Amino acid sequence: MNMLRTFYNGIVPENPTLRLVIGMCPVLAVTTAVVNSVWMGLAVIFVLTASNILISLLRKFIPDKIRIPCFIVVIATFTTIADLVLAAVQPDVHKILGVFVPLIVVNCIILGRAEAFASKNPVHLALADGVGMGIGFTLAIMILASIREILGNGSWFGIRFMPAGFEPATVMILPPGAFVSLGFLLGTMNLITARLAARNSRSTERVPSHAADAGLEG
Amino acid sequence: MELRTFVGGVHPAPSKERTAGSPIQAAPLPRRVVIPLAQGGAPCDPLVNKGDAVLVGQKIGESKAFVSAPVHASISGKVVGIETCLLPTGREAPAVIIEGDGTDTWIDSTGRKLEELSPESLKALIREAGLVGMGGAMFPTHVKVSPPPGKSFDSVIINGAECEPFLTCDQRLMVEEPEKIILGLKAWLKVTGAKRGYIGIENNKPEAISALKRAAADEKDIEVVPLRTKYPQGSEKQLIKAILGREVPSGGLPVDAGALVQNVGTTYALATALETGRPLVERVVTVTGTPVKNPQNLRVRIGTLVSDLLSYCGVEGEVGKIISGGPMMGIALPTADVPVIKGTSGILLLTIEEATTLPERACIRCGRCVDACPIGLIPTFLDQFCRKEMWDLAEDYHVQDCIECGSCAYVCPSKRHLVPALRLGKAEVLARRRRK
Amino acid sequence: MEEKKAVPSFDKLIVASSPHIRAAETVDRLMWQVIIALIPAAAVSVYFFGIRSLVLMLVGVASAVLTEALVQKALKKEITIADGSAALTGLLLAFNVPANAPWWMVAVGAAFAIAVVKQTFGGLGANFVNPALAARAFMLAAWPQHMTGRFPVPLDSITAATPLAILKGTATGTLPSYLDLFIGNVGGVLGETSALALLVGGAYLIWQKVIDWRTPAGFIGTVALLTWIFGGKGGLFTGDPLYHVLAGGLILGAFFMATDYVTSPITPKGRLIFGIGCGFITVLIRLWGGYPEGVSYSILLMNLVVPFLDRWTLPRVYGVTRARA
Repeated sequence: MNMLRTFYNGIVPENPTLRLVIGMCPVLAVTTAVVNSVWMGLAVIFVLTASNILISLLRKFIPDKIRIPCFIVVIATFTTIADLVLAAVQPDVHKILGVFVPLIVVNCIILGRAEAFASKNPVHLALADGVGMGIGFTLAIMILASIREILGNGSWFGIRFMPAGFEPATVMILPPGAFVSLGFLLGTMNLITARLAARNSRSTERVPSHAADAGLEG
Repeated sequence: MELRTFVGGVHPAPSKERTAGSPIQAAPLPRRVVIPLAQGGAPCDPLVNKGDAVLVGQKIGESKAFVSAPVHASISGKVVGIETCLLPTGREAPAVIIEGDGTDTWIDSTGRKLEELSPESLKALIREAGLVGMGGAMFPTHVKVSPPPGKSFDSVIINGAECEPFLTCDQRLMVEEPEKIILGLKAWLKVTGAKRGYIGIENNKPEAISALKRAAADEKDIEVVPLRTKYPQGSEKQLIKAILGREVPSGGLPVDAGALVQNVGTTYALATALETGRPLVERVVTVTGTPVKNPQNLRVRIGTLVSDLLSYCGVEGEVGKIISGGPMMGIALPTADVPVIKGTSGILLLTIEEATTLPERACIRCGRCVDACPIGLIPTFLDQFCRKEMWDLAEDYHVQDCIECGSCAYVCPSKRHLVPALRLGKAEVLARRRRK
Repeated sequence: MEEKKAVPSFDKLIVASSPHIRAAETVDRLMWQVIIALIPAAAVSVYFFGIRSLVLMLVGVASAVLTEALVQKALKKEITIADGSAALTGLLLAFNVPANAPWWMVAVGAAFAIAVVKQTFGGLGANFVNPALAARAFMLAAWPQHMTGRFPVPLDSITAATPLAILKGTATGTLPSYLDLFIGNVGGVLGETSALALLVGGAYLIWQKVIDWRTPAGFIGTVALLTWIFGGKGGLFTGDPLYHVLAGGLILGAFFMATDYVTSPITPKGRLIFGIGCGFITVLIRLWGGYPEGVSYSILLMNLVVPFLDRWTLPRVYGVTRARA
């Protein structure tokens, strides 16, 4: 397993939002505008990468029985840093994101990667995993936010570009819009992965498998 | 007057007008008959060999099993073989093939007086005459009239509803032979010890009602009950509910409601056996349908081939379906080369156009099947459960109580094939219960 | 017979399960019957609101049918636009917008109804809420400026508040007379204004046995009863039930939306309870809720409990005496 594959793993095959469907709270809440989703994504990338690295480094020292509290302490530290930095650099965005930045502490993705990956793998892979998962998350919420902002507000990154006659559908930036677009996004992702899987299985079909033949006869 | 009936049901077009007024005629004596050895209960062992000469009414098959009725030769002639043949029920069974000599020579027989017979000897007579349920189920009658220990009959109902569209054989028997129906009913009362006899007839057969009322005028214990014309009025459970107001418990038999239900044809056959001593070798069959040139009610010897009957009545155009029985519960035959058996009440032909059904669509939950189901089931749910093999749910929703009357499929606007799905579910649920 | 015996042709025999005859009713016929029943209301709407009303209805139908065809083609399913169910959804959706609504909103709404509410759940028979009403809720949330407030007045180019909004006190204006309400000479969305035309259509559907009387009877009866008891300003039993029944979308909803087969209970008893529940929620919203009208939300909410209603109202099975599991 190399770094590149681990990195790619978080973006498509095991995209936390669109494939694992975990950490849904910010996905639904902060995707009303693309700007918000970018900042949220950056905060998650930072916390995820940093906590992955630290937990990977500490993995031999953390006693198994109290590993979850240890992970939480690490994650909470970086979340606090992200929260304070964001408040200092982008006070407006910080105000909009509100509680969702502190809530990164309890985000399934971060705790999940710590438990499932960082605590079992060397530091360079944990880094690749953190960045990959973080970018996967960021891309997913950016796509969702783009759909919602364009349809619900007629703009992208706050820039209104749709023709004057376009009347945005307010519902798209309301909670129902989030659920409907997320549903379609998940469906599309399933379609893509199904196609990919079909293509992969076709390519492997060309290789005759003697083991499989033997299994059938046995 | 408020006519008695049951809950649910459907109103298919009766389509009886082509044969309702035509008196029963004897079909020409067949030159060759194929008499299956399994007609009611366990299959019989043949009592004749190839080459034997037989007379009409001679017993040619019998079984030692209690739940089995003997079979008799229906024409006089020579046994030319004992071969496997296809039955109208879709099963295959060995059959005695008789080549007729054209003389129609009967065995010697004498009639008996009902008054002289004890219930036990009457029961023996029923078995010897080879009587089975002639509505289609072909359950041996002597078994049906013997209640299990601890249970008894208090009422006998003659099923004159004939709710299946197109069929008129029972109606004609009731109009033409009401005295024999009453005699038969009295015999049922005697053999079961039941107190009251009823004859349930749908009110679209006023001739039959008045004929039987006249014949039963002096009988205190017999009541002719007009019923609302509705399918499936002639189903045992629905008939008992309509006439007695009782229900057969789920999973039980009519005897659990104290009732014995007998078909008109069986009752007539019993009266014949009493009066002449002759066993069941012929029955009335309605041959009808659009492609039939001369639709009529025929007195047919058991074992006559359907193809012979059809060439006698005449067929024009291409035939889409040959149905043994009525259109609602009858069985579509793959060929006309099958014999008429004791349970064949009608041969119905449909044109290709009539037999072609619209494609099945998704259920739109219109609820018509729920309103139509005479049992109170939700056929469309059961359809889903059975197709998805969710047998536990199917059992919870009482698929095993389905009587396969087809009312749900008849009314379904999506033309869903509900009956085969539910039939499968019934079989699966019962098999699972047996395994437990 | 003297004529030569024709050899019957038995080589095309079909062997299929009983029953061998089927009633003439088909899904297509049922759907088109409902569309026919909506024609009087559509005609009245065109008369009162002008050609604009007709344009919106045509846009709704066209968009719904086109969307259905496109989605079914994309999903490689059989294209079933001829069954009339998509056309019906489009028409009902158009009935739910005011005459001054933009055409594109109706087109998008109809596409939403078919693509999102109906086809994503498996198409005809599988959607769990009424597509036209869900799309109406979508439009109301998306473009509230076009779906609420002042509606066009019949035979005129001005707009006014709807009678229910005036009744509720959230808008000012004069209340139209009973007669105007009955024939439809009032402001409102396209299909709801004329009680007379809708009742004609509803009666036709009941006469043709397309819909069950229980749903509309339970719905309208409950609204009448509860508004009579609680609707008055002068205490209990001083309300005006007739006004509440005639004004707003109650008759449209009760006869044409709540009776949608797919999203209403399958058992007769269930349909009655469904209608009563719809009426109860409608009155809650009208008298104490935030909106002047509650028919569409009441039906949508009741749609969600249909599986429970089905299970609680199973008919008694013949020969079974013990309570069902």
